[in-house]
Amino acid sequence: MSHPAPEELLLDYAAGALAAGPALAVALHVALDPAARRTVERLGALGGALMEGESPSALEGAPFDEALLQRTLARLDGVAVEPRPAPYVPRPGVEWAPAPLAPHLGPEMRWRRVFGGFEEMRLRLPGEHRVSLLRLEPGRGLPMHRHVGEEFTVVLQGGYTDSTGNYGVGDFAVGPGPEQHEPIADPGDTCIALIVVEKPIVLSGPFGRFLNPLVRRGVI
Amino acid sequence: MLSPDEAANLIEAIAARQDRAAFASLFRHYAPRVKAFIMRGGTDAETAQDVAQEALIMVWRKAASFDRGRASVATWIYTIARNKRIDLARRAGGQVLSTEDWLTVFAPEEEDADKSVLAGQTYTRVKELLGGLSADQLVVIRKAFFEDKTHTAIAEELKLPLGTVKSRIRLALGRLRDALEKDET
Repeated sequence: MSHPAPEELLLDYAAGALAAGPALAVALHVALDPAARRTVERLGALGGALMEGESPSALEGAPFDEALLQRTLARLDGVAVEPRPAPYVPRPGVEWAPAPLAPHLGPEMRWRRVFGGFEEMRLRLPGEHRVSLLRLEPGRGLPMHRHVGEEFTVVLQGGYTDSTGNYGVGDFAVGPGPEQHEPIADPGDTCIALIVVEKPIVLSGPFGRFLNPLVRRGVI
Repeated sequence: MLSPDEAANLIEAIAARQDRAAFASLFRHYAPRVKAFIMRGGTDAETAQDVAQEALIMVWRKAASFDRGRASVATWIYTIARNKRIDLARRAGGQVLSTEDWLTVFAPEEEDADKSVLAGQTYTRVKELLGGLSADQLVVIRKAFFEDKTHTAIAEELKLPLGTVKSRIRLALGRLRDALEKDET
């Protein structure tokens, strides 16, 4: 993987500290990148060891409760042991969607044309972030823009290139901050990426002045 | 005490025959640990107990998804407890989507040769590693896991430059990788 997610972000994810939008971006990267998956599994082992090794003094504050066990056993009467789930198979038409994205792709989800060769599908996640799938035809670019807050991008199909490099399937990009960038979709498959932004982006260039009010109102 | 193999046997007994005695043994060991772990983040005892109960019920429901070749029971239950904690926080924010739907813990391993070997015995290795981390590294790791704080929040709280916190995390992860790769090769 040429563009892995930063390790501190994988720790945030493994510790369960990320907001829903960034957590989905990391989950998709982890689903596509075996090295990231191994790191997250190692971090899970660290969390497990910390929990398993709870000190006797901490456990005194949470003593075993026989009545709670009995109440829990009573509840199990209504809870089935579920069969092992079948391996995830993406729905036809969304073959590019890794498993963590599937719950967000209901039948009502539609691509919306933003302008020629550029479509967006907004996902509904809790929290402050704006979470979208973008679809960019080969050779098409996003308008020059800069980011006010954090931005995470995961490529799910095809690829794109900007001044920071070339990004392919599974690659993870952390927003370039105040710098401007202008990603252009690579030749070949249509580029599909998940993009998570903390605050609305600010468009620059000749059209930015007209488009920014629309961005702020969430129209585009 | 419960050895990693014994714990794995108990979960497999639940999967194979809905073994309630096996569940009770797991509950005795893990419910207090999950509760203590959740309380470290500042959660009150009653809520932490609810999280522990919900986590253990999830262990029952998902027992057939457990794969001892992939993760130790401690790791697996930690992941479930973490997801329950996320759900709890998000429920306060009005979210309905359950975290189990998107975190990869229950997803069957894909058919890749690069199979994880974080089986039960690595718990011992990780415990050794925790003893070998510097105090600076340990404080960041513990804050992340116990208080579910992002590295940005940790840097703010400790009044440290973000770069310092990042480098401590990377050093700690490097040691974790080295320690576990001895087992994996």
